[in-house]
Amino acid sequence: MSIRLAGAAIFLVAALYAWTAQDYTASFGDVLGPSVFPVMVGIPAMALALSLVVFPGGTVSWPSGDRLLRQAMALAALVVYALLLEGLGFPIATAALIAVVAIVLDGPPGKSLLIGVAGSLSLWVLFDQLLGLPIDFLGSFFTG
Amino acid sequence: MEILSSLALGFSVALQPLHLALLLFGCFAGTLIGAMPGLGPVNGVAILIPLTFAFGFDATASLILLSAVYFGCMYGGRISSILLNIPGDEPAVMTTLDGYPMAQQGQAANALAISGVASFVGATVAIVGLTLFAPLLARAAIYFGPADYFALYVMAFATIGGLAGVDPRKTLLSALIGLMIATIGLDPATGIPRYTGGSFNLYDGIDPIVALVGLFAISELMFLLERAIKDRDAAIRLTTWIPEAKVILGTAWATVRGAVVGFVAGVLPGAGASLGAVMSYSIEKQVSNKNNTFGKGDPRGVAAPEAGNNSASAGALIPMLSLGVPGSGTTAVMLAMLISLNVQPGPLLFERQPDLVWGLVASLYMANVMLLILNLPLIGLFTRLMAIPTWSLMPLVVAISFIGVYSISNSTFDLYVMIAFGVLGYVLRKLDITLVPLVLGLLLGADMENNLRRALSISGGDYGVLVASWISVALYLATAAFLALSIWLGLRDRKRAPAAE
Repeated sequence: MSIRLAGAAIFLVAALYAWTAQDYTASFGDVLGPSVFPVMVGIPAMALALSLVVFPGGTVSWPSGDRLLRQAMALAALVVYALLLEGLGFPIATAALIAVVAIVLDGPPGKSLLIGVAGSLSLWVLFDQLLGLPIDFLGSFFTG
Repeated sequence: MEILSSLALGFSVALQPLHLALLLFGCFAGTLIGAMPGLGPVNGVAILIPLTFAFGFDATASLILLSAVYFGCMYGGRISSILLNIPGDEPAVMTTLDGYPMAQQGQAANALAISGVASFVGATVAIVGLTLFAPLLARAAIYFGPADYFALYVMAFATIGGLAGVDPRKTLLSALIGLMIATIGLDPATGIPRYTGGSFNLYDGIDPIVALVGLFAISELMFLLERAIKDRDAAIRLTTWIPEAKVILGTAWATVRGAVVGFVAGVLPGAGASLGAVMSYSIEKQVSNKNNTFGKGDPRGVAAPEAGNNSASAGALIPMLSLGVPGSGTTAVMLAMLISLNVQPGPLLFERQPDLVWGLVASLYMANVMLLILNLPLIGLFTRLMAIPTWSLMPLVVAISFIGVYSISNSTFDLYVMIAFGVLGYVLRKLDITLVPLVLGLLLGADMENNLRRALSISGGDYGVLVASWISVALYLATAAFLALSIWLGLRDRKRAPAAE
């Protein structure tokens, strides 16, 4: 079932892709134009995706509830990190990221926090001090 | 003679202090990355690329570092295969079959030494092959016109999934998804923005490096979270580090056979180290399994796949350097780095930047010797480092990936792109759609379109130009034959499967 659904999803994306390509026109430039190549790619992709809907191959076993929750938590941590990195500044945000990912990976909370703080500080020294990564110790939330 | 003078040039490049230091670091880090379950050559190399940019290394230095890591991984993968029964990376899967039983029988020191020596022989055979054949292939490729390159890319996409096991439709679909992603951004010929949704962030297209780190590092984290990590068997303890010379010598022929088979598998587009190991093992089993000892701790079953995967991984560099079409996932990632540094691999690379090509080749000879030393007398160090638990290592890897990607353009937009590609990579891998063709499509898409453009503007829009030269016709025929063969094999397997039940 998963394969059929994925096939259908890829088919829709490819169809949209090939359809959109027709609007790309250039009055100047080269013989090929900007729309031919995307159409050349999109149509076989539609055909292959459709064949996966009709004749699905293979089976997929998705992770169970508990594991899925862990994955969602890890993904949330990654997105939140990207959101807050510039606000919190590198060391605080990275320490939190490392600690959360470690805990989600079954690490003991105390030690995970320790690794987060130690890891982020050493990475900050390595990248900021040695490489000159242009990021402040404290982010825009603190410095205004 | 020409080769000798080229090699002399190469060694003069490779012996520069920075290059030597990177080589040593790469060998050490690579062995460690290979030995850690969950980290393999592809994600190891992908994570390191943004860091090489941050350090401001030039193409030669970066390539030397990444190749050393790549080779180191091939050596390191066997350590956890033998001691933990968990392959350290994908190509080391075959090594578990006889390596772990040997370790259970108290032969761990022998198994590690055999596989170390086999890795050395395999890699050496392939580097000699690289020295001899890569320049020849590059010279032949000079005659390729734009239409021939277009045909070559079509062939690379069709064949990269390899022959056995995978559904060829999924492989092709993966390549097409990669090509679709590659067209995002400003069209290089006409300047029209395509598929940007009006976002200026996407005008430059998707940075392949950002996509790669997401596809490999972040999706690996998702896979790691899916498995129960806690219940992992303890590593087998070693009673002695001293191997027996007699056992090692007994595997000499298995090693040589494995090295040759692996090399052939590596040079073929898309086969790569994993297939090299599988082919070496199964051929060795057919040749030597007289008393049904394979799978129960036969030393030859350790030597053949280790020689095979090392030799295949070096062989895969040949099409990458001389044609610009990588032979495996890791070489595809290395190609991404070269393209980002404005180095276009292909036949002209050998003429324009001989110091890069031959510096790399010379470094590989030296890396191989360093790795043998690291992996025989110093093996105890790696087995101790392997005991570091996953929950403390993986978060650091994730953090380093984020810093690396952020440092490319100092924008958090790239971080979202990376996470999105991580999810995409995870879902595709769950659906059994391999990522290597996607990466190849993403990397070569722009070049493929450009070659099509060039061919058509030469012919004034006549599509007949695509099949006008015998080179392109031969490439299309080879592609068709390959696809027919893989579909036939797939149908045969499907017929066989119900019969076996």
